[in-house]
Amino acid sequence: MKRVLFGLFLALTVSAAAQTKDDTFVFMPQWYAQAQFAGYYVAQEKGFYAEEGIQVDIVHPLTTQSVQSQIIESHVDAVSLPLAQALEMIGNGHPLVNLLQTSMNSAMMFISRNGGDPFQIPKAKVTSWLAGYDQLARCIASKEHWNCEWVKSASSVNLFIAGAVDVTLAMSFNEYYQLRQAGLIGSGNGVYRFSDHGYNIQQDGVYMSRRAYSKKANTAQAFARASRRGWEWAAAHPDETLDIVMQYVKRYRIPTNRILQRLMLEETLRLQLDPDSGDRSFRLRKDMVEKADRMMMDAGILKREVRYEELLP
Amino acid sequence: MKKLFENLRHSFSARLSLWVVLFAALVFLAAQAFVSLQSRSSIRQEAIKGATQVLDNAVLRLNNILEDVQLAADNTEWLVYRHLDSKEAMFEYSRSTVQGAPFLNGCSISFEPYFFKDDLYFSAYSGNSDGVVTTMQEGNDSYQYFYLDWYLLPKLLNQPCWTEPYCDWDEEDGKSFETEMQVSYCKPLTAGDGSFFGTISLDISLKWLSETISSVKPYPHSYSMLVGRGGTYLVHPDPEKLFYETVFTEDLANPDPKYRALGQAMLNWEEGMKVLKVDGVRSYVFYKPLRATGWSMAIVCPESDIFSGFNKLRLIALAIAFLGLLLMFFVCVKVIGKMVHPLSTLAAEAEKIASGHFDDVLPQDDRMDELGTLSRSFAHMQTSLVSYIDELTRTTAKKERIEGELQVARNIQRGMVPRTFPPFPERKDVDLFASITPAKEVSGDLYDYFILREKLYFCIGDVSGKGVPASLFMAVSRSLFRLLGQQELPPTEIARQINEAFSVDNEQMMFVTMFFGVVDLQQGSLDFCNCGHNPPILLPRNGTERPMPLECEANTPLGVCQGWEYKGQQIADFKGRPLFLFTDGLNEAENLSHEEFGNDRLLKELGRAPFRDAQTTVQAIRSAVADHVGEADASDDLTLLCLKIG
Repeated sequence: MKRVLFGLFLALTVSAAAQTKDDTFVFMPQWYAQAQFAGYYVAQEKGFYAEEGIQVDIVHPLTTQSVQSQIIESHVDAVSLPLAQALEMIGNGHPLVNLLQTSMNSAMMFISRNGGDPFQIPKAKVTSWLAGYDQLARCIASKEHWNCEWVKSASSVNLFIAGAVDVTLAMSFNEYYQLRQAGLIGSGNGVYRFSDHGYNIQQDGVYMSRRAYSKKANTAQAFARASRRGWEWAAAHPDETLDIVMQYVKRYRIPTNRILQRLMLEETLRLQLDPDSGDRSFRLRKDMVEKADRMMMDAGILKREVRYEELLP
Repeated sequence: MKKLFENLRHSFSARLSLWVVLFAALVFLAAQAFVSLQSRSSIRQEAIKGATQVLDNAVLRLNNILEDVQLAADNTEWLVYRHLDSKEAMFEYSRSTVQGAPFLNGCSISFEPYFFKDDLYFSAYSGNSDGVVTTMQEGNDSYQYFYLDWYLLPKLLNQPCWTEPYCDWDEEDGKSFETEMQVSYCKPLTAGDGSFFGTISLDISLKWLSETISSVKPYPHSYSMLVGRGGTYLVHPDPEKLFYETVFTEDLANPDPKYRALGQAMLNWEEGMKVLKVDGVRSYVFYKPLRATGWSMAIVCPESDIFSGFNKLRLIALAIAFLGLLLMFFVCVKVIGKMVHPLSTLAAEAEKIASGHFDDVLPQDDRMDELGTLSRSFAHMQTSLVSYIDELTRTTAKKERIEGELQVARNIQRGMVPRTFPPFPERKDVDLFASITPAKEVSGDLYDYFILREKLYFCIGDVSGKGVPASLFMAVSRSLFRLLGQQELPPTEIARQINEAFSVDNEQMMFVTMFFGVVDLQQGSLDFCNCGHNPPILLPRNGTERPMPLECEANTPLGVCQGWEYKGQQIADFKGRPLFLFTDGLNEAENLSHEEFGNDRLLKELGRAPFRDAQTTVQAIRSAVADHVGEADASDDLTLLCLKIG
């Protein structure tokens, strides 16, 4: 019963959000409520959005729901996405605007269950997220001529814990700590960080469809300014930020805990530092866009080149 | 506290009682420690045995429950295989499965996309909500069950399995998770060629499981916990941890090797017991795996609970012991105080006696023990003391009288030798100085001189022995010298007559060594006779000569040999030649190391500086002797005389 009802409620939630779009800016992060989105919670709770004169509604997606479809179908105004996911959407004919770039580094990694080199496991079963975001992982697998079987899953680590797969795609701020919390991995065995092997492509950013942006440019820019302010405040006040994050986590009854969220917040804030300057610059880097573009074209994920300028407002 | 210590310091009975009580306490504590160790070991063994049994029973109950679920799946499975062509049958089977097993939350019979032609999704689901069973097709674009654990796990593992716990979405708001967790038992559906085409999934509520095993409490504060394959708490009394944390969560923030080892043991499906701190409480943790699921159950028993009965008993025993020892202390103080009371009486009496009441009567003590003996001994001591003090008083008075008489004798003796220097102030040609230092109150040494018709008669002598007899002998010697000298007899005749006088009836065998000299002041000659005395030293007249002992005839001392013919000697040119005379109290003076002053030292001291006058020479030698003797007592009378004519 519940399994069916939640689908109905999803439709109600989204349609309700759609109905209020004229006076409310609806933002959908790409995952459950967690410290990965701390800056937006801070901006909301500290009144930064209100100070910009906008009303923002932060709506999280459900288990099998992708934020890509929500932005394409204009159910929400803005979403957070990894850069590679945004490039793929643009390449597939859905023009997007990068409102704010929060991440400056890649958090992605492969983790092998046997603690060895993932690429040495023949016909490895590899989990990836049902929601997507695995473009760069596929590029690397292609480049490494890795003959693996991709298994999409709505959950993050349970298949890996149960031993149903050999390798899992993980984020350094989330699944990595979940697996350490499950007692499965030590500090580094069997971990292949993309950033350590020349694939450091910046990740999360806030995107709008170009059409929606043209209609709400001022509100969108206000949202971007307030969100950036939220992230800067979070970096300066990590303990208070964690309190705010835990309010959201409890509100949505997310199965996590304060220790995991603290680790996630620390890693998320670390990933926001520019690898060259060390600054929290919140800028989309042209070199990383071009690099991701090349990798995705080489792997056949992109059929055409997506230029850096196409992402700019 | 200070007052208490002061009382202890002044009370023998309190101090002795304290030592007795302390020793008794030590013995008690040692015995208590031994019994405690033995008891704790036994209780521990019993606790391990008991808790292990409880855990075994709980795991058995859990396995039975889980086996019931697996049995329900098995009972449904063959029906599904039999009617794979009928979607309606699938609904019926899922419904009848839930209806037949009320402990189930739900049952899904789910298929791969397009297993049924034209149906991307087909999952026949029946849910049990408070006894009302609802059946429906649950797959759709928003609920793509193909990607969920309960569908993927049996597909990938190709064998039946249990999922990790999960929550459904809250049907009220559609945005958050439900609070109630569930787990699913899943069986893959495979075709004859082994290819996967669907899953049968049976759900049970973890709340129900939790209620089933949370009643397992071998001790009042013990609790049970169940962890999944990923270490997640499936059952735990703390709702903050339940489902949200794993056995390793705390270790991420505050590494705890012991708790981590417990987690690893549980995840490795080991069975055993560990003692460690759980949430700051030292506890015994018993754990055992549920092999069918890959989970592990543990019972946490706080150590304080296990040993609570023992600790309570020990506390009571300690309290009784403490009170007993306290009572023992006061009884000891009273008993010992009573026993040693005569000592206090004795002490008071002793103080009275010490203050002069020697005749004070001591209380009668008829006891036969050590205190009675002490009391009698003290009474005897008092009697002896009184007698001794009487004797002492008499002796002291006698001694005082003798000392007074001796003082008179000393004064008389001192008056017998000339003590006025210079002795002949009208004569510039005679330089004479002498001194006498008795070793006791009176001396046996003597010297004398006088001038009679331009002749200087002088002598120096040393009576054998010391004290009063010697002083009497000395007085006689000096009187005889004066008497015979007045007759202008030569030194040899003076010696002979004195010898004859002393030799007659000399029962005491006393004698005297003497040196007699007569200086003719006009001629400048010296006639002398040495009667067994130390030879005088002839001092140099100028810086080139050295002090020389005067060569003397070997005459016997006076009073030794009657009829001895004394031989005299003469120095014709005595003018200007200082002569130093002394008794053996000088050369035989000993220091603390019993080293004598000696003749060599005497000659060295006399030659140290040119002769100035007789007094300076005598005083220099006295000073040298005093330096040599130091703190040592004078062993003999010391008499010095120095003479220079012209």
